[in-house]
Amino acid sequence: MSVTLPESDRRAEDVSPPCQGVVAPILADQSRFKAALGGLTPSTRLEHGDSLLSRLLADQQQLTAVEEFARQHDGGDLPSQSRYYKSLIPASPPGPGQQYAFEVDLDRCSGCKACVTACHSMNGLDQNETWRDVGMLIGGTTELPVLQHVTTACHHCLEPGCMSACPVDAYEKDPITGIVKHLDDQCFGCQYCILACPYEVPKYHSGLGIVRKCDMCSDRLAHGEAPACVQACPHEAIAIRIVNLSQVIEDSEANVFLPGAPDPQITLPTTSYKSSKVFPRNLLPVDFHSVSAQHPHWPLVVMLVLTQFSVGAFLVGLGLERLLSAELVSAIRPLHSLNALVFGLLALGASTLHLGRPQYAWRAVIGLRHSWLSREIVVFGAFAGAAVVYAVGSWFGFESLGLGPLLHEVVAWSVGAFGLLGVFCSVMIYAFTQRAFWSFPLTATRFALTTALLGIAATWVTLLALAVINNGPVTRLLVRRGDLICQALIIVTVTKLGFEALVFRHLLKKQTTPLKRSAVLMTGPLVRWTQARFACGVLGGVLMPAVLRALIGDVSPSAMSMLATSAVLFIACLAGELLERYLFFAAVASPRMPGTIR
Amino acid sequence: MTESSLLRKFDGPLTRDLLLSPGGFGLGHVPAKLQPTAVTTSVCGYCSTGCSLTVHLKDGEAVSLSPNTEYPVNLGMACPKGWEALTVLDAPDRATTPLLRDASGKLKPVDWDTALKTFVARMQGIQSRHGDDSIAFISTGQMATEEMALLGALAKFGMGMKHGDGNTRQCMATAVVAYKQSFGFDAPPYTYADFEESDTIVLVGSNLCLAHPIMWERVMRNKHKPEIIVIDPRRTETAMAATLHLPLAPKSDMDLFYGIARILIERGWINREFINAHTNGFDSFAEFVLPFTLDRVVAATGLSAESIERFATLIHEGKRVSFWWTMGVNQSYQGVRTAQALINLALMTGHIGKPGTGANSITGQCNAMGSRLFSNTTGLLAGHEFANADHRAKVAGILGIDEARIPREASWAYHEILEGVLKGKIRGLWIICTNPAHSWINQRLCHDILDRVEFLVVQDMYHTTETAQRAHLILPAAGWGEKDGTFINSERRFGVFKKVRRAPGQALSDFSIFRLIADAWGCGKMFDRWDSPQSAFQILKKLSAGQPCDITGIEDYRMIEESGGIQWPLASGARSGASGEQERRLFVDGRFYHPDGRAKFLFEAPRPMPEPTSAKYPFVLLTGRGSASQWHTQTRTSKSEVLRKLYPQRLYVEINPNDARSLGISPNERVSVESQRGRVTAQAFLTPSVPVGQVFVPMHESNANQLTDAVFDPYSKQPNYKSCAVRVTRIGA
Repeated sequence: MSVTLPESDRRAEDVSPPCQGVVAPILADQSRFKAALGGLTPSTRLEHGDSLLSRLLADQQQLTAVEEFARQHDGGDLPSQSRYYKSLIPASPPGPGQQYAFEVDLDRCSGCKACVTACHSMNGLDQNETWRDVGMLIGGTTELPVLQHVTTACHHCLEPGCMSACPVDAYEKDPITGIVKHLDDQCFGCQYCILACPYEVPKYHSGLGIVRKCDMCSDRLAHGEAPACVQACPHEAIAIRIVNLSQVIEDSEANVFLPGAPDPQITLPTTSYKSSKVFPRNLLPVDFHSVSAQHPHWPLVVMLVLTQFSVGAFLVGLGLERLLSAELVSAIRPLHSLNALVFGLLALGASTLHLGRPQYAWRAVIGLRHSWLSREIVVFGAFAGAAVVYAVGSWFGFESLGLGPLLHEVVAWSVGAFGLLGVFCSVMIYAFTQRAFWSFPLTATRFALTTALLGIAATWVTLLALAVINNGPVTRLLVRRGDLICQALIIVTVTKLGFEALVFRHLLKKQTTPLKRSAVLMTGPLVRWTQARFACGVLGGVLMPAVLRALIGDVSPSAMSMLATSAVLFIACLAGELLERYLFFAAVASPRMPGTIR
Repeated sequence: MTESSLLRKFDGPLTRDLLLSPGGFGLGHVPAKLQPTAVTTSVCGYCSTGCSLTVHLKDGEAVSLSPNTEYPVNLGMACPKGWEALTVLDAPDRATTPLLRDASGKLKPVDWDTALKTFVARMQGIQSRHGDDSIAFISTGQMATEEMALLGALAKFGMGMKHGDGNTRQCMATAVVAYKQSFGFDAPPYTYADFEESDTIVLVGSNLCLAHPIMWERVMRNKHKPEIIVIDPRRTETAMAATLHLPLAPKSDMDLFYGIARILIERGWINREFINAHTNGFDSFAEFVLPFTLDRVVAATGLSAESIERFATLIHEGKRVSFWWTMGVNQSYQGVRTAQALINLALMTGHIGKPGTGANSITGQCNAMGSRLFSNTTGLLAGHEFANADHRAKVAGILGIDEARIPREASWAYHEILEGVLKGKIRGLWIICTNPAHSWINQRLCHDILDRVEFLVVQDMYHTTETAQRAHLILPAAGWGEKDGTFINSERRFGVFKKVRRAPGQALSDFSIFRLIADAWGCGKMFDRWDSPQSAFQILKKLSAGQPCDITGIEDYRMIEESGGIQWPLASGARSGASGEQERRLFVDGRFYHPDGRAKFLFEAPRPMPEPTSAKYPFVLLTGRGSASQWHTQTRTSKSEVLRKLYPQRLYVEINPNDARSLGISPNERVSVESQRGRVTAQAFLTPSVPVGQVFVPMHESNANQLTDAVFDPYSKQPNYKSCAVRVTRIGA
């Protein structure tokens, strides 16, 4: 029998160099190969050796499922899947005093997480985007352990934090269904809703520059179809029910929501979690002990610190003016007001960097009635306007603007008032979220001290700059008042650092409270930031002012060493406050629904 | 919709991006951007549940999918893996061209021609120097039945290999042997409807909630308020949902079941009629279990006497009792006898062959059953025996090959092939669609072995698997969704899966790769009739004729499709699934597959754990599935960003808070878990759901198997993944 070698073997010499060594010896071995085939004749190899490959490669790219198997269907009114979810959605819309709500039967939630993937898929979300989460609670004893998976999405709250917080009214609560819907084209991506929602519901989509969230598949519900998660739960654990608003309020007041979940009285969530089990008292989210640094929001860090810098500079400047002669005031005012203004404008510029769609920044005025972010933006806008007028007046004389001395006073105090009001709005933005680390007293103290500290530091820089220009009276003033300014800076700094360090006392707590989480973060994953923050604070606010005091006390202080010391003072103070504000964001313990092992 | 104004935009491109529109095809609303122009169905390619997915097609190509509402298996549901089945096809690390390791040790792209020539030259070279059986293959439970059969036939009849095994050795081998010995054929008797029809469901070593969420769906649909008895050392999700959880000491199952058998016999709670008519060996079994007194069982299992008696009582009181087991039984050094201890309980109570009953092994992979019947490894094609001359003649006749080309003995098992490498007997290894460098037991040894292989070929969808990275040659394979074929699920149901996506680059279906290799090897003619998966299916039908797994009554893929899948057997002339019932079970007539038609009671004294705990290694290490979003070595599931969000990103170890306290371990602390074979770092997850003295590690992280101990069941050769001794220490302590 004649044996024709497969073409693939005949062409073995042609293979690329790396393989030559292994192929060549084989050619000598063909007789054995033939024998191994047991008389089989690969007869047509020569003809179609290559063509088989190209045929198979071409065939691989042919999609034939449609022609062969396209499925027929009968076009009924409702989708075929409706037979499984009919009983899981209400037959009629909610009446007055009612709304739709998720109901989760915890006894049926087994933790498969099909709801998350179904929501992702049926709503056409982006690759890593999910609107539903499944967490876990554990507790009990070794004899009777308890674990409970918890599926969760938007709770379509009665008082949605996201909606109140939104400065552009990109949220609306449907008056009939109660569904909290996000208007994607209205959103400008400030992400304040993410901070305001206790349940981590709104999710930022960095590619689009907006937030998106669960809308209870309102389009599906409107057509008698169940939301994706309801349709997809293999165990019928999720349903849409009609709830009475009064009942939701009552439940929230009694804190009947879910063990380990954030306090329901903040936003009055409508989801009801039901279970036939009696949960043990030690039932905790599996991620209860895990701490992870939060998003630092750098543009907000810069914006907050610099607005407070600017406001502080104006206020300290105004205060200083009370102590000085008219001559000195007119010498200091132009430069100082410019100094404050420049940082103020920088701050406002930085704030737009935080927006996903800064071109719509103007929309921020829309939410003035309810959003602290709107208010902050508007008030700081007024502050900037007044500050510009004040600075221009300071440089060119208020008379040039057609303003008399009284009006000058009015502008001056308006700048101060708008500034303080702006800082207050900033405080409220964070206090509104009801996070312990951002509580009103803590945040107000923090922001006020920053305002004072940077205001003093900024004033010092102005004075020094003037001294460098070698203004006679100012130099004399420096000698007289410099010591006072340095003392003030040291006192404010020590107070502020002490105040910030107070959080560490929570490390001694046995319970993992939100403030303990912040302290753990600051001494654990964020310890380098914490060290840098305190080092900068001490350097800029204590050591350098002390050096300056010594220099001022000298008979003839060297201008160079004064200058260098002041530069270090200023940079260290500013850096210290930026680091402090970084920690303000990164070390906050955000409330969240029970999570997963992480 | 409210009108947009200058101040408020209710509509626009961002809103339209998420717009839903009626999908047609009975789908309900779908994302408008993914509006299908046609739909088809395809059986999922992950686990053995065998769910059907409705694939949404746009211009012939899949754009999305949803679970198939009409299919009798999943009733409109799917687990996260199924929902994300298309996503993982787009991964950037798909193998798109053959890769060959060059002289500098780097994997470099080559064309198919070079790859095939190299494959043939190297493998034939090894054969010429060391004999035909010096090359072997390791295959999978994840390919089409037709592909497995072609591979098995090609490797053994065409290329002259003697040894080949599948990764099903890691999951199903125990059930196979248990059934074969007890029933006379590897025949899981149940249908999923039994989950719904049972009034007493016994789940052993099975965390159905996470491992088989869609089977759990069927349990949840049970209208009979069933007693659910879960036998598992850990309080899993499934144990939480049980009416009776028996947290027995690891590997004390046999003591428990023998003890239960003794109680049932003692109290006359057995079905004498069934035993007499349909079984052999009961009397010696009854005698054997006599020493398994309640005291002894209490001592061995650590369970209370009350709970053991309660278990026996529930079996007695149940009208329809079903026994189900998964890897807690199979992956054991005495798995076969443990499975048979359960089979014995079903036999002695007559709970088999009737709705809601059975001794039922829940399979692991999507086509474990296809591998069991048609992979031509341990058994000759279609459940035949290599050692049986009649079988060889029948197979040779149907395939049109020389009978002498069929080996007279079964292959070595997986671990014997690896040992063969160590002994220098196996020099060339072809690994298809599986990832032993991650999944095989005692991983360091496995790596050492793989690195000794003279020529290692890995055929896979991804070039990044731990095994592919060790290969000399990588052959790029098309995956599920990019090719056609059938899978056979846990309840013996054939389902069709389809080509709905174009494979990337030069990747080819495994079926095509086998044909190319046959051609390049010089034995292409032998497989001329295997020119498509459909024609291969027709060959398999002929091979199955007269076997318990006879499928001669299935016409073609279309009939499977239209019937909602078809369970074997369906002999020619029998009523088809379309006209007959969609849910069928075996042994309705009490006739088993042994020549005398009777089932056998098989039993053996329990043995102690191969690696007991000691002062140095005081914890028993349990391993298992971590979440429903992860599949085995995560070759595919790690490629979906959504799935990745659903499971922990680092290795963790579940440890009881009491143990943690005595070791000074705080929650989430990084700890060291160490066995005699390896040491890994893991995050401590303190949970009372794992008993004192035991720790649990999920199997999906690539280093988990550094700890496990390579011990095997003597009958099934299945690795004992779920018990070895470890110690846990604080890092730096």
